[in-house]
This record gives sequence, C-alpha cells and structure tokens, in this order.
Amino acid sequence: MKNRLKVLRAERDLTQAQLADALDVSRQTINAIETGKFDPSLPLAFRAARLFGLRIEEIFHDPALDNGHR
Amino acid sequence: MSIILYIRTNKQDTMNQLKPLENGYETRTRTNVIQLFRWCGVWAGTCALLTFGPKFLWNKASVFTLLAIGLNVCVGIATVMANKKYFDQLDELQRKVHLNSLAITVGVAMIAGVPYSIMDANHLLPFHADISHLMVLMSLTYAACNLYGTTRYR
Repeated sequence: MKNRLKVLRAERDLTQAQLADALDVSRQTINAIETGKFDPSLPLAFRAARLFGLRIEEIFHDPALDNGHR
Repeated sequence: MSIILYIRTNKQDTMNQLKPLENGYETRTRTNVIQLFRWCGVWAGTCALLTFGPKFLWNKASVFTLLAIGLNVCVGIATVMANKKYFDQLDELQRKVHLNSLAITVGVAMIAGVPYSIMDANHLLPFHADISHLMVLMSLTYAACNLYGTTRYR
C-alpha cells in the first residue's frame, strides 16, 4: 500500500518522533509506514486521517486499484 | 499565497492535536520494560533461592523448600503478567515483530526439543540433557529474531 504520510508530515514541519507521539506509536513504526515496509491497521489509519483532517483514501491507496484490479 | 495559507492552517490544526503526552508511547514502553526487567530479576533471585537454599540455607528442610517453591511460582505469575502488560501496550509493528519471534522460537523449541530428548533417552549424548539447555536455545532464538525484526523495519 502506498501512502502520502511523509509528504503530509513534511508540509506540517513535523518530525517522525512528533508524529509518532501524536499517533501513539513508535518512531520506528512511522518510518516503516513511510517507507512502505509496513501497512498500518485500520484504527491507526483512521487516527492518521483524523490528525491530518483528511479521509483515509487521501493518505493511503492501493496501487492495485490504479491497474484496474478490484 | 493561498497554498501557503492552507498549509499553515493545516499545520496549526495538526499542531493543536499534538498535545504533550504525559504518558506517551515511548515513556509507557520504557516504564513497562523496566517493570518487566525488575520482575525477571526477582524471579531469577527466587530461582537461585530455590536452587541453593535447600543445601546452603535451611539444610533441606521441606517446609522452607515448599515455601521457596510457592514464592517462585507467585513471582513467576507476576513476571508473566508484567510481560503480558508489556505486550498489550506495544504498538502494532512491535507486536508483529514479537509475534514473529515467538512463532519461530516455539517452532525451534519443538523441533530441537523432541530429538534432543530422544537422543538423551537413547544415551546418544555425551552429557546429561537438561531443561536449561532448551531455555538457553529459546532465549537466543528469540533474541536473534527480535534483532532481525527490529533492524528489518528500521
């Protein structure tokens, strides 16, 4: 799953540690999500969406959907 | 200009939600690790008491040995509860790393433990098999898997 977490974080001048604190996870988890090594759970994705004031699909998206796979 | 304003507003909104956490994830995890470490230390102490006490402290008096066993079990239960609390309060990635480590550790313990026991029963080992050997193997496997998992997602 791809995501815009790094861009959104950079737009708000947040460090990984600050974002991790706000989402109540470790900095390692934020880094793993940003680099695409780990997909967050739905509750964590919702927390991120609430924090940035966006919908989940505006932050995370499945590349398979771009290729027409449903 | 409007884009900058939009980003600034968004930043303000986000920063407003970044309230200082008195008991944030890192602090909570550190506290849980320290508590778990303390309980492990006490449990190791009761194990030492149980091992050496009957011979060196109370001359194999059954009452004291039974009391030491009771103490060891009680402290053991508290250690397990501290471990459970530590796991419960980990975030999802850390829990995944630990779950993978546990899965491999249990598998290794079963795969190595059964032939080890059979070899001992058939006198194929040059030394006496001991449960502590299995515990050392499990500890090393768990530590290695955890290290691998942690560096993999770094």
